[in-house]
Amino acid sequence: MTYDLQLSHVGKVYDNGTPAVIDFNLDVEKGEFIAFLGPSGCGKSTTLRMVAGFESISSGDILIKGQRINDLLPEQRPTSMIFQNYALFPHMTVRGNVNFGLDVKGVPAAERDRKVDGMLEKLGLLDVADQRPERLSGGQKQRIALARSLVVEPDILLLDEPLGALDANLRKSIQNELKLLQRNLGITFVFVTHAQSEALALSDRIVVMNQGRIEQISAPYDLYTKPSTLFTAQFIGRNTIFKGTVKHAEGGVVTLNTDHGALSGHAAKPLSVGSNASIVIPAESIGILPANGEEPQNADGTSGFPGEVGSLQISGHIVEVTINLPTGENIVVAGHEDKFGRRFKPGDRVLMVFRSDGATVIGG
Amino acid sequence: MESRVLKPVLAVYVGLFILFLYGPFIVLTILSFQQGPEGGPQFPIIEWSTYWYRHIFGLTPPSRVAPLPFGESLIRSLTLAFMTMVTSTVLGVMSAQAFRSKFKGSGFVFYLIVLGMMVPGVLTGLGTALVANTMGIERHWWSTAFVTHVVYTFPFAFLVMLAILNRFDASVEEASWSLGVPPMRTFRKVTFPLIFPGVLSAMLFAFTLSYDEFSRTLFASGRDQTLPLAIYGTFAVEIHPNVFAFGVLTTLFSFSLLTVYAVLMTMSVRRAGRAAIQEDIA
Repeated sequence: MTYDLQLSHVGKVYDNGTPAVIDFNLDVEKGEFIAFLGPSGCGKSTTLRMVAGFESISSGDILIKGQRINDLLPEQRPTSMIFQNYALFPHMTVRGNVNFGLDVKGVPAAERDRKVDGMLEKLGLLDVADQRPERLSGGQKQRIALARSLVVEPDILLLDEPLGALDANLRKSIQNELKLLQRNLGITFVFVTHAQSEALALSDRIVVMNQGRIEQISAPYDLYTKPSTLFTAQFIGRNTIFKGTVKHAEGGVVTLNTDHGALSGHAAKPLSVGSNASIVIPAESIGILPANGEEPQNADGTSGFPGEVGSLQISGHIVEVTINLPTGENIVVAGHEDKFGRRFKPGDRVLMVFRSDGATVIGG
Repeated sequence: MESRVLKPVLAVYVGLFILFLYGPFIVLTILSFQQGPEGGPQFPIIEWSTYWYRHIFGLTPPSRVAPLPFGESLIRSLTLAFMTMVTSTVLGVMSAQAFRSKFKGSGFVFYLIVLGMMVPGVLTGLGTALVANTMGIERHWWSTAFVTHVVYTFPFAFLVMLAILNRFDASVEEASWSLGVPPMRTFRKVTFPLIFPGVLSAMLFAFTLSYDEFSRTLFASGRDQTLPLAIYGTFAVEIHPNVFAFGVLTTLFSFSLLTVYAVLMTMSVRRAGRAAIQEDIA
């Protein structure tokens, strides 16, 4: 089958010799919503700009619908880009902005007007069609940028931190609009962001990047529950991470010797006994029990480690408990109020428990 | 407390500044209304009259004061300034555009361009005259002098455009390309309208600098004189208030140019303006 977008061993080295993107491989199916997620400077925007044609490709190939597009100019590529600052044309009306791309394509006037009107209507911009964008709100500007890009019917829509300039409330609603729009249109979206909440909420698959390399490509839920690298574990969600050495491993379940006792989790990759590894426990997977002097059991796949309640922070139904560990570290455990109730107060000695299938062991 | 001392000092300073800026022009204006043809270019005013203004346009009976030989030189200077303005602005926009991406030797080329406004005008003029003579090229205001004017004004246009493009948000161009619009059309439809206020400024610089250029033109222009040369020529004989009247008229002309510039500027700023606001969001 042909993919909508394929990046094969794509690399980017800047003129001064700094590598920005290293061996990037990704196959995107038609209609997928892909997010590139990573800290700033990780190469996610550079990769997007290589797809758009704004940056040259140092090595590897980029294919759209099976066609190699490495040497095509930006205006020849079937992509369209949404910018963080919207990059609207301030000297044109909203309609002028949306019409601009069709103008060059030699689309007959009647059809052009029909398409522009249809797009303006779809995005709720008909009322402001004859205004200039400068006085409109951030959300409206965002929709103008979308209308302008979608009206030329690109195969792939590229979005570079499109929600970054919006305030938090607006971001949520635009996020939903964006998702609906993408579903309805069935166009492939590639979305760059450094906000994991956006990536987790919007995308079908997330590409986590760090220092120019892909760390992990996963569906949001898997990324959250099954990080495959330490970087992902630290970057996504709020995980407790303990280092240790492998005590024994069988049937995908690995037990580590850590400063907090023997803890078990499932391993993504086979690990040999004695090697260094880390266990990653999501804050949501940890339960708290009152410590009654018993040693934590390793039976029926449950591990536990001791600690002392530091502070409780209640925000709505979610309670966040800070636990001070004997080693001097502290971790955060989160859960519904009914799970923790009001059973604990600061200073209580407690036992943290988690099931081994809720934790991940990663080499290193 | 501080401002009680500082404010009057600054006020005096500004007053002096304005006096020196406009003083000569005010004196010139008053003297241009001297009685004619007997009244000379000095105080006191014997009697207020518009004689010398009428004299410029040949509306007075013939007298011992010859009419100013400015008609042709004025046309020449205006034509030359216009030619220079167009050439320098086009070159300025194009070269500043080239400097947006760093190229090999861009630093060297930058200083090479800026040199044109740093080298003393007399030297450029003299040098051009010598080169022209050596190569057997005849000197004219529209050939050799034109070249020296472009060399002189092009750096100004270039620097103005460089400053404008420096704070130009390139993502609107990328947006245009990504909509399938080729670079040339993008430049015409997106970039140029947005940098137009800068282009206007560059044009104004080039025009006014060329219009009253003296030292380069003196050597490089050959037989036919431009306006500044012609005015200087009349000083050499005997000064009558008609030169002052002419000065007042040209200054008024400059002011009207500035007004046109201001009007065009506000129009284009209102039209293209808020690119800066978009930048602020980013």
